[in-house]
Amino acid sequence: MKPTANLWQHRLRFDMRAALVICGLIALVPLFVTGPYALGIILVSVYFAILALAWNLLAGYTGQFSLAPAAFAMIGGYTTALLDFYWKVPLALGIPAAVVVAALFGLFLGKLVLNLSGPYLSLTTLAFAEIARVVIGNSHEFTRGDQGMHVATLMQSRVGYYYVFLAALVAVLVFLYWLLKGRLGRFMMAVRDDPVGAESRGIDVVRTKMIAFCVSCAICGLAGSLYGTFSQLVSPELGLLQQTGLVLSMVVIGGTSSLSGAILGAILVYLGSEWLRGFGDIQIIVFALLVILFARYVPGGLWGLIAARLQGRKP
Amino acid sequence: MLALDLLANGLIYGCFYALMAVGLAMIFGVLKIVNFAHGEFFMIGAYTYVLVSLKLGVSPWIALPGAALAGALLGWLVERLLMRPLYAGYASWGFMKDEYAVVVTFGLSLLLINLVDKTVGPYSFRGEPLIDVSRFALGPVMLTGQKAIAAVVAVLLMVVLALFIKRSVWGKQIQAVAQNRLGASLAGIDATRTTSLIFVISGMLAALSGALLAPLVNPSPDIGAFPAVKSYVIVVLGGMGSMWGAMLAALILGVSEAFFSVYVSYDYRDAFGLIILVLVLLLRPQGLFGEKGRTV
Repeated sequence: MKPTANLWQHRLRFDMRAALVICGLIALVPLFVTGPYALGIILVSVYFAILALAWNLLAGYTGQFSLAPAAFAMIGGYTTALLDFYWKVPLALGIPAAVVVAALFGLFLGKLVLNLSGPYLSLTTLAFAEIARVVIGNSHEFTRGDQGMHVATLMQSRVGYYYVFLAALVAVLVFLYWLLKGRLGRFMMAVRDDPVGAESRGIDVVRTKMIAFCVSCAICGLAGSLYGTFSQLVSPELGLLQQTGLVLSMVVIGGTSSLSGAILGAILVYLGSEWLRGFGDIQIIVFALLVILFARYVPGGLWGLIAARLQGRKP
Repeated sequence: MLALDLLANGLIYGCFYALMAVGLAMIFGVLKIVNFAHGEFFMIGAYTYVLVSLKLGVSPWIALPGAALAGALLGWLVERLLMRPLYAGYASWGFMKDEYAVVVTFGLSLLLINLVDKTVGPYSFRGEPLIDVSRFALGPVMLTGQKAIAAVVAVLLMVVLALFIKRSVWGKQIQAVAQNRLGASLAGIDATRTTSLIFVISGMLAALSGALLAPLVNPSPDIGAFPAVKSYVIVVLGGMGSMWGAMLAALILGVSEAFFSVYVSYDYRDAFGLIILVLVLLLRPQGLFGEKGRTV
């Protein structure tokens, strides 16, 4: 075992390389899978990988539990859709606008709760997620309610969209790597491991949590907006708690506090859930059970096991 | 006169909210975690009540204790199987306490919703009323028989609970463990058994709340979501972990919601909770009866 094997910097670099390898493999998929349906499934799993990375930044690296990643994706999707529908804003502006609006919602919620310790963030985001979905579903005049809204699309080609999503995933990945490598990343982990200790060493705990939360929301907004333009429809179903549950199970099963774990988990869980759909829609039951078992017995997730094996340390 | 009618109905709904929120507050008081599966305790109670009274054809008055039993059993199982690592002191604990609790209870919530959805079906059921009196007027207040009798049962339950916590030895043990877990166990109190008791009680209360409301709301698998969200608002408003705060906050939410839904907007009545939550977090984050807000 190399003496550096356990150093954080080394692990992060190793993690990033593994994540890029997984992305490379995803990029090769259209060579072998040509059916539009199968390609669509992998595309959606890339969408979930982006959400999982965003949630993992918050939960895995900063120790703050939001229960609204799907709700922020829904907000992102609706921002693009509403701008397109009412003001004919082109997507080149509509998609960045979704990122900004999701981040602003994050800023607002964060201002309310992030200066409190305890479970306030989980409670508030859960209440926010449920109620935002109901409000959007009930605003028939403005958002057309549960019917959902039509959105313009970037392109018709499914393979093209596949690479758009993959490019977004890689961009998010590189950004998170840059973030985690630097001071701010260290601050986040300090806040996760010991908020009081971090504060006493002069870290602005609230500000660090705030940045992590807003970045996470912004990424969710981006993912939701892209997904809306891909499916050409946004509906309140984007923000269902079950979707948040899927994101959560991806990170917990794949491996918390790991970039490649989140991507690996997203791909495996989403493909698994499509496969289990054939057995009578039992996918949520299976993954909810797996989440409980993993949290209880394999807290490092699958990536924790794999990385330990690859780097030659004990899990 | 409408105002009086709204006040009475709001208070009645407040009683049901209180049954749920008190259990949540007790769990938070002792373990400092939020049980995100609390709405599913409610759902299990409603379903047990409906299925026992409809499928077995027994009197709803027997189905009601049946629902309480199901809730108590579920609460006991949750504590026994999932909550033990929180205080058993596992050495190589990968997750921290809060994260583990959020992940496990949220997973449990999805698991129970979808299990019921698959085994019983996604359709909603109509619950058998406890008493077959349709509408009647009590002074200016219009009531249905079910609502009135359920409210009486709910108030009785709260009184019994309050006496139990205040007077009985077990209740005092619960208070002691909530104040200081280590201190309580040094004084010879079995903290693990007390935690188990708390889960049994809160499971039972949430299930009873579901059973009493079942004839009014027609249970479907995701019925627990909004009662749960409302109880989260209530425990924040009442002060995290404060039982009496939760009871009072539940009544406040019930009444103000009743007025909001008539005078402001019926469609958005469920969004009202979020407004209250935002106001509490802005103005008084420690809630009505909470200890001084703990900042980082």
